[in-house]
Amino acid sequence: MLRVLRFLQTVDRRFLYALLMLVVVTPFFINFQLPARVSTATRRLYDTIESLPEGSFVLLGVDWGAGTRGESRPHTEALIHHLMRKRLRFALLAFDPQGKKLAQNIALRLQEQYGYREGVHWVNFGYKVDQENYLKAFGPDIIGTVKQDIHGNPLGQLEVMKGIKNANDIALLLDVTGSSTYETYIQFLQGPYKLKMGLGTTSVMAPEAFNRLDAGQLVGLIPGLAGATEYERLLGIPGKGTRATNSSNAAHLLVITFILLGNLAMVMERRLRAQGGAL
Amino acid sequence: MSEFLETHKDTLVLWIGAICTLGFYSILYRENRIYRFFEHLFLGLAMGYGVANVWTDTLQPKWWEPLVHRGHWWLIFVMIIGLFYYFVYSPRYNWLARLVIGFFLGVTSGRAFQAFVNDYWPQIPTSFKPVIPHGPVTTPDGQTLPALTWSDALNNILFMVILLCVMSYFFFSFEQKHPVLKRSAQLGRWLMMFTFGAIFGSTIMGRLALMIDRMDFLVNDFGPQIGGPWVMFLVLIGLAGLVLYLSKRAAERGEDTGAI
Repeated sequence: MLRVLRFLQTVDRRFLYALLMLVVVTPFFINFQLPARVSTATRRLYDTIESLPEGSFVLLGVDWGAGTRGESRPHTEALIHHLMRKRLRFALLAFDPQGKKLAQNIALRLQEQYGYREGVHWVNFGYKVDQENYLKAFGPDIIGTVKQDIHGNPLGQLEVMKGIKNANDIALLLDVTGSSTYETYIQFLQGPYKLKMGLGTTSVMAPEAFNRLDAGQLVGLIPGLAGATEYERLLGIPGKGTRATNSSNAAHLLVITFILLGNLAMVMERRLRAQGGAL
Repeated sequence: MSEFLETHKDTLVLWIGAICTLGFYSILYRENRIYRFFEHLFLGLAMGYGVANVWTDTLQPKWWEPLVHRGHWWLIFVMIIGLFYYFVYSPRYNWLARLVIGFFLGVTSGRAFQAFVNDYWPQIPTSFKPVIPHGPVTTPDGQTLPALTWSDALNNILFMVILLCVMSYFFFSFEQKHPVLKRSAQLGRWLMMFTFGAIFGSTIMGRLALMIDRMDFLVNDFGPQIGGPWVMFLVLIGLAGLVLYLSKRAAERGEDTGAI
């Protein structure tokens, strides 16, 4: 008995890793979907985009890279799907060097489905440094600050930028991020220009972001993988988020099970030892 | 060569991605040279990619092009001022570095004020929440405030209690001897612990999302390259089996039991 209890407290970590891998991959081959409720935070962002008139201009911050791709890519995909479906114009802006390319690939892949064209319906402003100072300059003069898109085309000549001069012309500001770039957006763009702002953020960052949602600085929020699944459900397009959620749920169950087993074994061993049971 | 790369670009990307992913996951067995190699490769790639992007997206269009091709000669001073930073290594001329550092300290401090006001001030008035249920209310300026249900009111009361308890924990100006203050500070500390627990739980969720994304890439994106997702799944199981076998041998030799 004591040996079993000891084993449960000293399981080889590599055994756990192997088990975790199995639990994560198996749901890829099983076609099932656990029920999920759409949270108010996610629905509010969806409703805000739904309420925008056709042709409105949306700025989409894509401040993520390979490090948070698991969560940020489903966010970006779901939001671009929604923007294209609603026939909204949008611009990608990255303060992460990888963000500009990763988001560009997503937009290029989805544009055919919705009959969108780069430069006409959407544009990529590219990667920019020094977010604080950049946004200070960007707010009053978008064309003069960005100057050209990632292909070197003068921004002022692009059809997508027609009628867009400063931040007051932005109907909605969105940021998909794995870091605190959304705070800088609030500090130097959302706050000064009283813009509506939505956020897609990683699970790690989400608890802090809820303060901003309560304060009205954010109109809606997509938190982590769970949020991505909720958004895909609202759109009716099961994507990466939906598929990953089954794996995420299974992995969480495994982690919880082993935490409980380990602690239970520790308590039982202590009791046995207290009773003098050198079993 | 370039034609070959162009033709087989997608296949190469998948193979390189899969090899790099498996190389990184080799750390799960133990520290090894393969992992070290890929770690350094990625660090170098990330740095190089970042530098190239700073040039193509910022320095070239905003500084080099206007300076060289449009005759904006005064932009040369931007570089000169930037180079002043390097006088920090010169004992004789480091006052020049202090000039530019002082300038940017001032700019950053000023910006920090604006950042604080825009970020935190809106959160203060919205922390004052109604706690008595009521129907829809029309204000004198014609605004209609939504009704507050019993459950909303309860939620707001809970919010206020938590807010006050946590704030009372941070009263360090005097000793917390009063029983009410002492208890609320204690409760505040517990509530913060719950929050940290929730944040830690979210962190686990985030890390799992990264792993799921990589597994999805290996099985569903790379899998078809070697015969299908099922084949990749079997390869992964084989690799896991190998790791467990090697781990068992290492444990028997007393080298590494793998216990956490």
